Amino acid sequence: MAYSEKVIDHYSDPRNVGSLDKSDENVGTGLVGAPECGDVMKLQIQVDPVSKEIIDAKFKTFGCGSAIASSSLATEWVKGKSIDEAMSIQNTEIVEELSLPPVKIHCSVLAEDAIKAAISDYKSRNED
Amino acid sequence: MAFEQPACQTCESTLISRLFCFSCNAFQPLPREIDLFEVMGLPIAFEIDSEELEELYQRLSLELHPDFFETAPEAEKRLSETALVILNRAYNTLRDSTLRAGYLLFLLAKDKKLDERTLPVGFLQQMFNMQEALDELLNSDDTAALIRMSKDLQDRHKKIETSFVSLFKIIEDSPEDLEKLQQLQTYLNADRYLRRLVDRIPENGLLQN
Ligand code: FES
Repeated sequence: MAYSEKVIDHYSDPRNVGSLDKSDENVGTGLVGAPECGDVMKLQIQVDPVSKEIIDAKFKTFGCGSAIASSSLATEWVKGKSIDEAMSIQNTEIVEELSLPPVKIHCSVLAEDAIKAAISDYKSRNED
Repeated sequence: MAFEQPACQTCESTLISRLFCFSCNAFQPLPREIDLFEVMGLPIAFEIDSEELEELYQRLSLELHPDFFETAPEAEKRLSETALVILNRAYNTLRDSTLRAGYLLFLLAKDKKLDERTLPVGFLQQMFNMQEALDELLNSDDTAALIRMSKDLQDRHKKIETSFVSLFKIIEDSPEDLEKLQQLQTYLNADRYLRRLVDRIPENGLLQN
């Protein structure tokens, strides 16, 4: 199966690989797995306590090229967004941006799940 | 589970496999959904006699070998090809314990909806940590540690297999036990993550320990 150029770009030069401090109260961590294939993805966001904007994001993905590209893209997209804006990111947008074929849709779902999980972790730790 | 021996549609002798009669060499009409256990002449249960499976597979693949059907009438040729496809599917599914558990669960759960995302508590985090550790090991020369991890993964897989045995036994007696069915599904889900890790470990160098 041929990967699209954008997938190859993200895959060979993934943005924002790494970790943020899990215990920092401004950080939300999402850890998700793809039941279809057993791949795992961790995505973290750092939220500015005043502006409530996502100012940083990092990921680490053990999975296929599409999953790595999807999570790399997801970290780029959430940066600069408010939590609500980030929450509304759909996997279909990722599919479109990366031209993922049908068999790779679950890889983009993984990235969407990871964003949502990171946000809900952040929220659960910041309920006034 | 009850196991009714089917009879050959042509000569009425007892069939060992649903595909083919060894007494009169007749192909059997195939139902729309064929039970893979029946294809391999095995009772529907998780624990199987692997030798029996192996033997029947050898016997049937010999009978169904395409060479024998080169000059056969078109219809028979087609039947033999279909039978061979089903035979291989049955063999490959049943000889692998995870695939067999998945198939058996599919048969038992039928229209009950099981959740294919459930995992044991804390499992996902463990898998993530192991993936990270494996990354490091693969970049180092620490073969001993790699072997240890490989063993650890095997042990985890074996534990799941043992749970399959006991859970399927319970379900044989109470097939409606949704909680147990879901528990089986959870282990199957978990096994996929283990498999992913195992697949990353290069086999060479690990086997001579
Ligand atoms: S194949 Fe597993 S996430 Fe893509």
